Amino acid sequence: MVKDKSDVKNLNSNLKKLSEITEWFDDQEEIDVEEGLKKVKEAVSLIKESKGRLKEIENEFEEIKKEIEPEEE
Amino acid sequence: MELPIDKIFSVSEFITLLNIGLKSSKVKIIGEVGEAKTGPTGHVYFTLKDEKDQSMMNCIIWKYKYGLYGIKLQEGMKIMASGYPEIYSLSGRLSFIAETIELAGEGELKKQYDELKKKLEREGIFALEKKRSIPKYPHKIGVITSRQGAVIADFLNNIGKFGFKIKMIDSRVEGQEAVRDLLASIKTFRKKDIDVLVIIRGGGSLESLMPFNNELLVREVSSFPVPVIAGIGHDKDEPLVALAADASESTPTAVANLLNESWEQAFLLLERYERDIVGRYEMILDNYKEVENELRISLSNFKNALLNVKIRLRDSLDKSLSGFKLLLSAVNQKVIQAEKSVFFNNPERQLRLGYSISRCNGKIIRRTGDTKVGENMDVRVLDGIIISEVKNIKK
Repeated sequence: MVKDKSDVKNLNSNLKKLSEITEWFDDQEEIDVEEGLKKVKEAVSLIKESKGRLKEIENEFEEIKKEIEPEEE
Repeated sequence: MELPIDKIFSVSEFITLLNIGLKSSKVKIIGEVGEAKTGPTGHVYFTLKDEKDQSMMNCIIWKYKYGLYGIKLQEGMKIMASGYPEIYSLSGRLSFIAETIELAGEGELKKQYDELKKKLEREGIFALEKKRSIPKYPHKIGVITSRQGAVIADFLNNIGKFGFKIKMIDSRVEGQEAVRDLLASIKTFRKKDIDVLVIIRGGGSLESLMPFNNELLVREVSSFPVPVIAGIGHDKDEPLVALAADASESTPTAVANLLNESWEQAFLLLERYERDIVGRYEMILDNYKEVENELRISLSNFKNALLNVKIRLRDSLDKSLSGFKLLLSAVNQKVIQAEKSVFFNNPERQLRLGYSISRCNGKIIRRTGDTKVGENMDVRVLDGIIISEVKNIKK
């Protein structure tokens, strides 16, 4: 659970970081290609990580649902 | 008894022979007391005179018998004595050996009764506060009465079936001879293990009840170790034994009823307790049923409450699940959004499309005014930088 929490936190911080990156792009008047590229790389890595974590969470959620469903019958 | 004609007796032998014959002649004689003297040994010597012709008889009553009857012989007193004649061998004098003495005539009897009653009253023998209560649930009963007659039958017919253990001593109950029997019976019962002593006899005149007015007997009853119930029938003057007893009834049936009383009450109490117990048990059962009903209602309420909780749980679970799904989808959307934004903002994408970025002195050239002819310009393309010189500017 602690792991989950930290994961959730990671996901949250990932989202936060992604949001910051997109805001950075939106606010950029003079595009720093190098910096932009760095941000893109970071964003790609965060997106990949977040997608993986989301998948995990979805799977876990499906498992939990399965566990709950029989009791509900 | 036929005596041999040629037999020669000594004086002593003859007197002995006469006395044997005389002793079988037991009689009762009535007369007026003449002189009465107590000898040094305590025996009482007196004469009885016939009222009509002054015939006289010498009489002796031995000390231990004299003490039994509570009569102080005085001159002029009319008495009845029972006994037998005897010749005193040393004087050849014939005397009547009195075994019992009793007053004769209602007047004398009444006088003796009243005097003794007063005397015993003064001593507190009849005092109410001295009376002991008849024990509850008596079990071992001592009975003194005559085996003859209806009295014992009445008593036994009326005594209840409560497991009484009845010990009976047969005693004469009439005439002065009864006194000795009664005293002996009481003494015997003193040593027996009994809860209560019963002395019963049928009714009779003052004269016939005189044994029950005997001082020694009254004192024995009064000091008897367990309570005494008297059931002595009487008309006017209650026998002194009955007055001294702890309880007195006038019939044997009443005595039996008195003994039955506590047992009968116990049975009534038992019946009442039984009814109470059954009643209370029924009440408990009713209460139990009530509680059972309440419990059933509570259980059903609880079941409903459980069901409600279950429904709420289900509801909140559904909400949580769908909420979480929404959350997941929102997160997903954000990631997708971020992906799109990054995709579109990726400078490499612009460069790959053929766009390039030109800088002069490190600053991006957006307008013609951002550079001058002759100045160097760095052109960033997909795979590198082209360094060029501004030849001409067109607006």
